[in-house]
Amino acid sequence: MSASTDFISLCRLQTSNSSPGDGVSLPLPIPNSPVSVARARARVHPPLLHTLSHPLTRGPSFQEHSGIFGHLTVGRHRKISPGVVQPGSPGIFRRKSSTGAELVFPAPKSRPRPSVGDILATKMAQSGAGATGLGWPNTKEDYELKEVIGVGATAVVHGAFCKPRQEKCAIKRINLEKWNTSMDELLKEIQAMSSCNHENVVTYYTSFVVREELWLVLRLLEGGSLLDIIKHKMKSSNCKHGVFDEATIATVLKEVLKGLEYFHSNGQIHRDVKAGNILLGEDGTVQIADFGVSAWLATGRDLSRQKVRHTFVGTPCWMAPEVMEQDHGYDFKADIWSFGITAIEMATGTAPYHKYPPMKVLMLTLQNDPPSLDTGAEEKDQYKVYGKTFRKMIVDCLQKDPTKRPSATELLKHPFFKKAKDRKFLQQTLVTMGPSIETRSQKASKRQPGTSGRLHRTVTGEWVWSDDEENASSQEDSDDEVHIRKEKPMNLLVNQGSSGSEEELNDGKPEPVINSTPSHTAQNSSTTSSTGSGPTPVLESQTAPVTAAPLNHAVPINLVLRMRNAKRELNDIRFEFAVGKDSAEGIASELVSASLVDGHDMVAIAANLQKLIDNAATAGKNITFPLVSYQMAQANTGTNPADIPDEKTLIGFAQISITD
Amino acid sequence: MPLFGKSQKSPAEVVKSLKEAVTALERGDKKAEKAQEDVSKNLVLIKNMLYGTSDTEPQTDIVVAQLAQELYNSNLLLMLIQNLARIDFEGKKDVAQVFNNILRRQIGTRSPTVEYICTKPEILFTLMRGYEHQDIALNCGTMLRECARYEALAKIMLYSDDFYNFFNYVEVSTFDIASDAFSTFKELLTRHKILGAEFLEANYDKVFGHYQRLLNSENYVTRRQSLKLLGELLLDRHNFSVMTRYISNPDNLKLMMNMLREKSRNIQFEAFHVFKVFVANPNKPKPILDILLRNQDKLVEFLTRFHTDRSEDEQFNDEKAYLIRQIQELRAVPDH
Repeated sequence: MSASTDFISLCRLQTSNSSPGDGVSLPLPIPNSPVSVARARARVHPPLLHTLSHPLTRGPSFQEHSGIFGHLTVGRHRKISPGVVQPGSPGIFRRKSSTGAELVFPAPKSRPRPSVGDILATKMAQSGAGATGLGWPNTKEDYELKEVIGVGATAVVHGAFCKPRQEKCAIKRINLEKWNTSMDELLKEIQAMSSCNHENVVTYYTSFVVREELWLVLRLLEGGSLLDIIKHKMKSSNCKHGVFDEATIATVLKEVLKGLEYFHSNGQIHRDVKAGNILLGEDGTVQIADFGVSAWLATGRDLSRQKVRHTFVGTPCWMAPEVMEQDHGYDFKADIWSFGITAIEMATGTAPYHKYPPMKVLMLTLQNDPPSLDTGAEEKDQYKVYGKTFRKMIVDCLQKDPTKRPSATELLKHPFFKKAKDRKFLQQTLVTMGPSIETRSQKASKRQPGTSGRLHRTVTGEWVWSDDEENASSQEDSDDEVHIRKEKPMNLLVNQGSSGSEEELNDGKPEPVINSTPSHTAQNSSTTSSTGSGPTPVLESQTAPVTAAPLNHAVPINLVLRMRNAKRELNDIRFEFAVGKDSAEGIASELVSASLVDGHDMVAIAANLQKLIDNAATAGKNITFPLVSYQMAQANTGTNPADIPDEKTLIGFAQISITD
Repeated sequence: MPLFGKSQKSPAEVVKSLKEAVTALERGDKKAEKAQEDVSKNLVLIKNMLYGTSDTEPQTDIVVAQLAQELYNSNLLLMLIQNLARIDFEGKKDVAQVFNNILRRQIGTRSPTVEYICTKPEILFTLMRGYEHQDIALNCGTMLRECARYEALAKIMLYSDDFYNFFNYVEVSTFDIASDAFSTFKELLTRHKILGAEFLEANYDKVFGHYQRLLNSENYVTRRQSLKLLGELLLDRHNFSVMTRYISNPDNLKLMMNMLREKSRNIQFEAFHVFKVFVANPNKPKPILDILLRNQDKLVEFLTRFHTDRSEDEQFNDEKAYLIRQIQELRAVPDH
C-alpha cells in the first residue's frame, strides 16, 4: 500500500520544479490541480484560427477523465497537429539472441487464428438474412471496386459492385491512419448514419475494416452531386442570369428539407449542407450525403474539427456565423443557414463569397449583413428572374441569430415550396441533363491515385507511389506486411521539417531527411533553375494505376513544385503527372500527406496544377500562385515587413513548372 | 380516465394493446404484418406520452408513473427486447427511446426502473446478446449504455459470464456494431471507477487473458482501440493495483515495445502512453529493469527520434524527455 501512495505522490509531486536529478518523478501536471486544468483549458479555447480547426471541443469531457495521467489522455486527443499525419515508418524487428545483451524487441507472435469476428459475422448475416434476403457482406473480396467518384483528403469514394448481391453500390474508403481525429467520433458518426432510414438521407448498407482503412458501403446515386450538375450546366449553357429555375430549385430543396427534418428529428446535425453534398439518383431521388471531403462523417462533435478544417481548406462559404464564432457551439439551425447558402448556390451557381480566401469569407460573414442572391452579382438585376417568395425564403434562412431561423419542419410550410414538383420532373430536368457517370468518373479518376497508397523508397533509393491495393496480397495480416517490408526494405518519406524519423533500433542512424540528400539533388539538378540557394529536396512520385481506373498510358509530364519550406529555404519537389491516371487533387493530397506542403495549400496547389496541365499547350509552362498557409501565418503573427509576400522571390508564393 | 380526451388511451390501455400486438408478432402467424403496425403505433403513443410532440407536452408525472407501473407489471420491457428484431426500423428506435426514458425515471433519489431491472436481469442479458443480431445490435447498444450508467446494473453485467462475450462482439466484422460493442465495453469498465477497479482486480487473469487477444487482433481498429483503452485503464488512479500488476509483467512490456514499433503511427502513439508507465514505475521489478537495461541505448535512441514532428504537443515532449532521462539513468540493481 505504501508503494502505491508513494507512486501517486511521486507522480503528483511534479508540476513544481522537481530537480532533474531526483529521477523518480514524472514531469506531469497534477490532475485536478488548477495549474493543469488551466493548461488544459487553454488548449480548448485557442485563438480564432485555431478554434476553427476544432469548433466543438468543449470542456466538460475533461471531468470524465481523471486519474494519474488521466487528463493527459484527453489532452493529447484534443491536440490538433497541423497537416495530415504522415504514414508511419516501417518497423523492422531484428531478433538477435534471446538471452544476450542484445535482446531487442521480440517480434509479435504470429497468430493466424480463426477470427471470432468473422464467425460471429456469418452468424449475424444469417440472422439478418430473414428480413432483407442477403445482407451486405463484410469482406473486400465480395466487392469489385470500380471508378473513383469522389476524393477527399482522408477518403476516396468508388463506384462498386457487390458480387454476391449482384448489385451496384458506392464504397467510401477512409484511411484511418490519416484520420486525424478521435476514433470514437468516427464511430458515432457511422452509427448516426446507420440510424437513418429515410429516402432523402444517403442509404448506408454496412462498414468494415480493411487493413488501415474503413470501408463504408453506401447506396450509389448515379446522377452525381448537385454541384456536378451545376458545373456541367454552367459549362454547357449561359447561366449568367441563373442556373436553375425556381421550380427545379424548389423541388430539390424540398427533398433536402425533408431529409434535414428527419435528420434533425433524429437528433443529428449535418453541418455541411451544400450542393456538393446533395446527390441525385437516376430516378430523380434526392439524398443528403457527403461524397466530398469528410462531412457526412463529420456531423459529430470532434469530427467537425476535421470537417471545418477541410471546409477551411476550401472556403467556409456555407458556414453559419455561430459556427465560425465558436462561442456557444451550434445546433441544427446551423444547417438551416447552410441550406440558405445552398439555395443561393442553386440559383447563381456558387456560394456568395466564393471568390474570397477563407479568412476573408469569415470576416465578411461575421461583419456584413447576411448575403443574398445579389451578393455575388456582377451587374444590377442580374438575378431578377427570381421572385420575392424565393428571396424571402433565403432571408429567413440567413438570419444571423440562429433562433430566428425557421426549423426544417417550419420551412417546409414556406410558400416557396408550393412550387415544388415531383421526382420525375427532376429526372427530366436534372438527371438527363447532368454529366454522365462516365464523365464524372473520368474526371474523378483523373484526380486520384488512391488515398491509401503511400510514397516510399525502393531498395534503389527511388521514391515510388504504391497503392496498398496493388502491393498487398489479399489475405495478409499485419504480420505479413512486416515480412513484406523485410524483403523490400523501404523507408517512407520523412517529414522534411523534422530532424529524423523512427528507424530500426539496430542501426542507429536516421535515414537522411530528404532535404539533406545531396545525391537526389544532384540527380535532378539539371532541371533546376537557380532562384534558390537552399538545398533542394527531391520527390519523385510515380503513380501506380488504380485498380478500377480507366487506363490511359499517356506519357507522364514531369513537374516541379518550387516553394519555401518552414525554414524559408527554397525547395524543389519533383513529381510526375500522368494525364488520365493522376489527378491534381490526388497529387496535392499526396504532397500534404507526405508533409511536404501545408494542408491549407492543398487546394491551391491542386487547382493550379490542374490549370497548368489543362492549359499547357496554350499558356506558359509555369504558374505562380499565393499560398493560403502564408496568409494565415501572417494573420496569426502579424506582418513583418521583411515578409511581404513577393511573387518573384516566392515569399508567400509557390510555383509549379513543367520541366520537359 | 378523466385525464384524457376521448380519443386518447390510458397508459393501461396502451400497454395492454401493445402487449397484445407484441404477442401476436411473437407468434408470427398470418396477422404478423398487422401486428407489426400495431406495435409501431402503440410505441409512438407511448413515446409521445414520455417525450411529447411538437404540439403536445409530455404527460404528467402521474401518467408516466402509471405507464411505468404498467410496463413493469406486464413484463413488456423484456418482451419488447426479445422481439426487437421483429419490430420495424423506426419502432426499434422507439423501443430504445421508451426504454431509456423509463430507465432514467426517478422518484426522489430512487430509480424504480433500475430496481425493477435488478429483479429481472434477463433484460440485461437479452440486451447484451443483441450484439449477435445485426439488425438490432445498435438499438440494444443504446439501451445497454444507458443501463451501464447505473452502478447496480453495470455490476450485474460485469460479473456475468456474458460479459466475456464482449471480447467477441468488439471484433465482429461489421464496423459499427463492433465499435458500438466496444463503447459499451468501455463504459462498463470505466464508468464506475471503484466498481471497475474491483472487478478488474478480482478477475485480473481472466480479463487480461482475453484482453491480450484484442491487443493482438488482426483488425486494426480493434488493436488501436483496445490499446487506447488499456492506456486509459492503467492510468486511472483507481486502477492502481491493476496497473502495478500489469507493469510488473515483462511480457506486457515486450508487447508494448513491439507496439511502439508498429507500422501505424496512431498505434505507436497509444503504445507510448502505456510504455511510459513501465518506465515511470519507481519500483521496477527486476525482469522489467533487465529488459529496459538491455535495451537502454536503443531505447534512448529510439525515443529521441520518436514522433519528433509532434513539436507542438508540449505534454508529449515533456513526457518523452522525461522517459529518455529515466532510461539513461537506469542502473542495474546489484544482486544480493
